[in-house]
Amino acid sequence: MSTQVHATVTEADVEQISAELGEPDWLTETRLEAFEALEALPMPSVIRTPGRDWTNLDALDYEELVDPLEWAEEKDRVEAEGVEVLSWAEALEDHGDLIEDHFGSVVDPQRDYLTALSTALFGAGTVVYVPEGVDAEDVKIRTTMNSRSLFNYTLVVAEKSSSVTILERQHTGEPVEGDQYYSGVVEVTAGENATVQYGALQNLAEDTYNFSIKRGHADTYGTINWIEGNLGSRLTKTSVETRLLGDGSESKIVGAFFGHDDQHFDLASRVWHEGEHTTADLVTRGVLDDTARSVYEGVQDVGEDAWDTNSYQRENTLMLSDDSEADASPKLIINNHDTEASHSATVGQVDQDDLFYMTSRGVDEESATNMLVEGFFVPVLEEVEVDELREDLDALVLERLGI
Amino acid sequence: MSSDNDLESTDTEARFEFKKEEKSAYEAEVGLTEETVRKISDDKDEPDWMLQRRLRALEQYKEMPMPTDWPGQPDLSEVNVDEIIPYIRPDIETRGGEDDWDDLPDEIQDTFDKLGIPEAEQQALSGVGAQYESEIVYQNMQEQWEEKGVVFMDMDKAVQEHPELVREHFMTKAVPPSDNKFAALHGAVWSGGSFVYIPEGVTVQMPIQAYFRMNSEGMGQFEHTLIIAEENSEVHYIEGCSAPQYARHNLHSGGVEVFVKEGAHVQYSTVQNWSKNTYNLNTKRAIAEADGRMEWISGSMGSKATMLYPSTILKGPGASDNHITIAFAGEGQDIDTGAKVYHNAPNTKSTIESKSIAKDGGRTNYRGLVHIANGAKGSQTNVECDALMFDNESTSDTMPYMEIQDNEVDVAHEATVGKIGDEDIFYLQSRGLDDDDAKQMIVAGFIEPITEELPIEYAVELNRLIELEMEGSLG
Repeated sequence: MSTQVHATVTEADVEQISAELGEPDWLTETRLEAFEALEALPMPSVIRTPGRDWTNLDALDYEELVDPLEWAEEKDRVEAEGVEVLSWAEALEDHGDLIEDHFGSVVDPQRDYLTALSTALFGAGTVVYVPEGVDAEDVKIRTTMNSRSLFNYTLVVAEKSSSVTILERQHTGEPVEGDQYYSGVVEVTAGENATVQYGALQNLAEDTYNFSIKRGHADTYGTINWIEGNLGSRLTKTSVETRLLGDGSESKIVGAFFGHDDQHFDLASRVWHEGEHTTADLVTRGVLDDTARSVYEGVQDVGEDAWDTNSYQRENTLMLSDDSEADASPKLIINNHDTEASHSATVGQVDQDDLFYMTSRGVDEESATNMLVEGFFVPVLEEVEVDELREDLDALVLERLGI
Repeated sequence: MSSDNDLESTDTEARFEFKKEEKSAYEAEVGLTEETVRKISDDKDEPDWMLQRRLRALEQYKEMPMPTDWPGQPDLSEVNVDEIIPYIRPDIETRGGEDDWDDLPDEIQDTFDKLGIPEAEQQALSGVGAQYESEIVYQNMQEQWEEKGVVFMDMDKAVQEHPELVREHFMTKAVPPSDNKFAALHGAVWSGGSFVYIPEGVTVQMPIQAYFRMNSEGMGQFEHTLIIAEENSEVHYIEGCSAPQYARHNLHSGGVEVFVKEGAHVQYSTVQNWSKNTYNLNTKRAIAEADGRMEWISGSMGSKATMLYPSTILKGPGASDNHITIAFAGEGQDIDTGAKVYHNAPNTKSTIESKSIAKDGGRTNYRGLVHIANGAKGSQTNVECDALMFDNESTSDTMPYMEIQDNEVDVAHEATVGKIGDEDIFYLQSRGLDDDDAKQMIVAGFIEPITEELPIEYAVELNRLIELEMEGSLG
């Protein structure tokens, strides 16, 4: 597959993208190194069981999808007081050193083939810089994809004792003929006692292949909370990850998805407990209709030095259709015994007793089912502290239900 | 069970760790070649079809790579099949096993005496088979069962005496050699094991037991167990295994195939206590027809590394499966075990209960797969895994996989990991127990929900082994 990419992407393209953003040499080098590494890098890992791959990434046809120089988007950035929300060109000019310190420090640019491709080719993106002590709410980044492929890179740096809430929405604008490819990398650094809440709502057109990696490092008493909503795209391969490096750090990963038609969602929530007294809570709920398929991997990894760890994970999937498939693998990797960890996962259909009760009260079956599906998402919606994101997510769920 | 008292008084060394002088009538050369496979088949005077199956399995074995890409799998780099002695026939006269312990050579008789097998036979078993190295040396069953048509014999003998049944079921439908590298190895060099046939409607009231003992250094044991339970029959099969500790690695790669016909009920219990230089890499699979019921009970205490995932294919409507797994990993042990269940028919049910304990740097992993196929409407599965950790050197992992292709199902998985509570220990100590006794009591309490479901003989043996393990006196 890597040869395919080389057929459409050249080193000159990478250099041109870099030059257009007016990048310093170190970043151009990082891109070129990632580009060179492509050939040797594996695809992002997918779960395999005897005779089955849960997601087939090799079926992606990059020849068709990647058009590195012709990228177009609309970006709507809403700033909050005290926070800088910048394009890459602006950010590199104003905060060159800060970016050099943090770029690629959380997400390894050569983590896998698709991440390296994203690093080499990103043109779109945003840098959010929250200086020490600043409390900010409601930074909003809306990305409208208007081209065949779009590589987006978001870097969030929250300094000591700062806090910020960031909402990111991705959707498709002008229809583009044929399949599309969206690739997003999000790096978050939460400094000592800093809090970052990052909510993302992905509602790309359903002929879009979507790859995303979101990863954060939490320092002492730092908190990183993720909210991940997936409704759009044809195939999504995404991982949301937090390394709890500092003592007393915390992370919550809340996920919601609703697949229909032949959508395929491969979703992962992963947390590494590395400091002492850390806490993690992973909650995902999803609904599947038609022939949609979900693949979920949750990882709670407790390191040897992670004394006094608390780690919890819940995943629930509701299947509305007989032809959908839900695969799940919640994993516990525990290397310190001073741990309280649990996980649970369920898969099932709409509760028949509930349905019977409601139809016996005169609600028709379809409305009753819709209400139960909406209700199914409530425990996840309640975890979403940001009103706008909760309302948007709820609205998209209702839209999908045809209400 | 009165032998419990004997177990208390028997010291561990004498019970499991004793070694006998290596005496054999035939010993294959070290390593694995076509020549070796032909010699094994020839020494057993096998029909040509079995030789052909062995040779084909050998080919498959050679073609397959070692499993190395499972996430977090035990290290198998020291497993060198070319250094293992695949086949040792002990020096006994009667092939297929004596039916009187007194007819066995003294050292073999003494071995099984120490393991308490003859005593258990008298008290609580319908039949006993005992394997020493590669061959069954003792085989006996109460007459009443023989009269009802129950067959319990050495697998090698079954090849000769029940060729149709064996030919149809042996490594064809349940565990084909192509399943995995060690199943292929097993197919090439298998020897010994049990053949069990329960005719329609017969319920064998007391369990039958097979005991497998490796005595020689650096050997591989590859016994094959084939159980066919005809419609509405019922049987409980218990296997036990042990070996003394040597410097060189031993390899155990058994194959177990169970056919649960309509309405039949098979319970398969294993107490695995291989020495801590043994690699234990087994393939066990059952196929359950309509309303059939399969139960796997596995206690994994021994071995250096275990990779064992007893599996059940729920093929007929209403079939059910129940897994109970207890794993205990101490110093230097990596016990990677779990369950696999395929729901391929409507209204099938499975429950998996796993309890694991990691101590002194040992690692346990629950690795399990539940697959519900499209069309398996009304199926239910419930998986519960609990792990207890003693110290910070140990590791406890849980890796379940669920593949759900039908929506009219009820799927639930739960897992917890925790440490032995300081407060609990403190409480017990304040009541006069010492630290060790307190921990032992907590472990007993931890696994009690499982042990109380077990047959009494099994529960007693398991508890005793766990106590020994807790004392650190094994291995």
